[in-house]
Amino acid sequence: MEKIISIKNLNKSYGAVKAVDNLNLSVDKGEFFGFLGPNGAGKTTTIRILTGMMEPDNGNIEITTLNHGTKSDIHRFLGVIPESRGFYEWMTGEEYLLFFANLYQIEGNAVKKVDELLKKTDLLRSKNKKIGAYSRGMKQRLGLARALINDPKILILDEPTLGLDPQGQEDIKKMLKELNSKGVTIFYSSHILPEVENLCTKVAIIDQGKLVAQGTIQELKDGAKVDTLTEVFLKLTTPNHD
Amino acid sequence: MKKIHKILILVSILFLPITFAEASTNSPLSFNILSPSSLSGTAGDFVTVQSQITNTGTTSLSEITSYLSLVDTENKLPVDLEDWSAEKGLFIGTIEPKQTLPLNWKIHFVKAGKYSLIVVAEIAGKNYPQTSTIVNFSVGPKQNLNPGKVLPVALFTPIVILFVMVLLTYKRNSKLSE
Amino acid sequence: MIKQIWLKEIKSELYTWKSTVWLLVTSLLFSFTSYLLLTNKELSLLDQTELLWILSEIIIGVALLIITIDASSIINSEFEKETAETLFLSPMTIKDLILGKLLASLSLWVAIFAVAAPYIIVASSGTDLALPFLFFVALLGTLGIVGFIGIIFAISLVYRSVKNTLTTSLILLLVFSVPAFFSSTLKNNPVAAWFSIIDPIDNIFSSLDNILVDYHTSILQNLNFIIPLSIFCAIGFISLWIAVKYFKKQGVIRSTQ
Repeated sequence: MEKIISIKNLNKSYGAVKAVDNLNLSVDKGEFFGFLGPNGAGKTTTIRILTGMMEPDNGNIEITTLNHGTKSDIHRFLGVIPESRGFYEWMTGEEYLLFFANLYQIEGNAVKKVDELLKKTDLLRSKNKKIGAYSRGMKQRLGLARALINDPKILILDEPTLGLDPQGQEDIKKMLKELNSKGVTIFYSSHILPEVENLCTKVAIIDQGKLVAQGTIQELKDGAKVDTLTEVFLKLTTPNHD
Repeated sequence: MKKIHKILILVSILFLPITFAEASTNSPLSFNILSPSSLSGTAGDFVTVQSQITNTGTTSLSEITSYLSLVDTENKLPVDLEDWSAEKGLFIGTIEPKQTLPLNWKIHFVKAGKYSLIVVAEIAGKNYPQTSTIVNFSVGPKQNLNPGKVLPVALFTPIVILFVMVLLTYKRNSKLSE
Repeated sequence: MIKQIWLKEIKSELYTWKSTVWLLVTSLLFSFTSYLLLTNKELSLLDQTELLWILSEIIIGVALLIITIDASSIINSEFEKETAETLFLSPMTIKDLILGKLLASLSLWVAIFAVAAPYIIVASSGTDLALPFLFFVALLGTLGIVGFIGIIFAISLVYRSVKNTLTTSLILLLVFSVPAFFSSTLKNNPVAAWFSIIDPIDNIFSSLDNILVDYHTSILQNLNFIIPLSIFCAIGFISLWIAVKYFKKQGVIRSTQ
């Protein structure tokens, strides 16, 4: 399998606290990759470094086939739902997506593309509403639509279903499965383990910034001699980091 | 005896103001405000109060300070001379017997109204001032620069901006309610 | 991408009434002052050129204050409202962001100038000063405002907080404003004289005084004010360039966050 993301010897500290501690992991092309860890394990920091939002202390990140360009070129192929979810509340959903379509310099009819995404994320009826009037679930779906505006080759998602009702969670999972089936590599960070077990083909678990396990879900279950991913997780991670 | 005392005291009291007045009239200085009629004008005008001071006595006088005093006779208020650019006192070193010196103040008519003006002089070591006669004059109102032109702009510009704001809001709300 | 950022800011300023309210307040202030200057019985006694100079001070002063407040929040609101990350996740660069926001802040200055123009024209009526007045307010104002925006944006990139940037920028504005009100006697002091040369606000006001009161209406006659203002403008850009380097080193999300 061709590797699309390689993280090598990655380190990041916040003062005396090591957020990422010599992290090594790789993601294959077309994979639905689960990135797990308890709160404060270093997932968001790793994603921020991976997406170029934060500078590492040292270490190396390679996004294969995209490394020849500048950071902004790489962003043309990435779709990201970051942890921070700020929106321009005065814009309508349609204006918001059109603004990003223009930033990505989408070729062809941007309005048509935006309408397709609004339809896909079930926001078409609310496209002329101000984002400030959207519910949390609608904002999550709009965030996903924004992440898909550039037809990304890699989707990096930091807790995309956080705060959604069960129907909203299901809708997003369905969309992600569909995208993955079309060849989009998905790097999925979450601590909702049944969701990960249901979606991901491979997972990595980090704890206190260190990689504690990586492999297919079955490999991890076999290695830990347990029946569920939740049990693997509880066995390998420290209970409380807060 | 007591009666005589009382009469004497009464007489002295009666003569006291006369003594001051005499002191004033016996002053060796005299003032002359030249062409008091030229003082009248329009608000905004700069005029010169021209006056002369003469030593009518037989000895020279030194350290004389003279200044203007201006009263708004309509409102019965003294005028702040700083606003009228005439706050400066004029110092005269020595004035010889029978000598006449010019005293000029440039003043800016700031506000229309009726005023009275006097020139006052103080001689060092003397405890009474010397004043000129009172000159009454009036200041006419000045036509404003161009209120007729500024008024449309002053009213129209905020109205246009307000109109644009309302129009933008209307257009935006129409889109949002689609 | 610069255009997209600029258009977004313009729409934001219009749709949220931010700028339009500023412009309405500005026009009311100009209306009040110009009407007062031209009709008040005592103020109208001033020479017309003195009136124009007072009006020019008000226009530049109001514009500087509004631009300072606006520029202090235009970049940092992206960080405080957590929209910066999604912007930087697109192909947009920090250069695009800064130039787009700079254009937006300058657009506000253009709008303030457009509001001020009718007042300038009507107040200059009867003199030959309308055109030089308009030209020099535009030139001197733009130089000063671009310099200020550069410095304010630099402060923004260092602080990433609206409150801290606004406080620092207002203090800076105040520091530069005070010498402009020094009397000529005070300006004879060597320290005050030196500060006057580098002070952009003092240069703007002195140049306008030179144009409106002394009728020195050519660029050559005002070069001694325009050159220091251009240097100030360059200092604004240099400080912005240094701040961008610092920003890149820190990353879009700071390690302390």
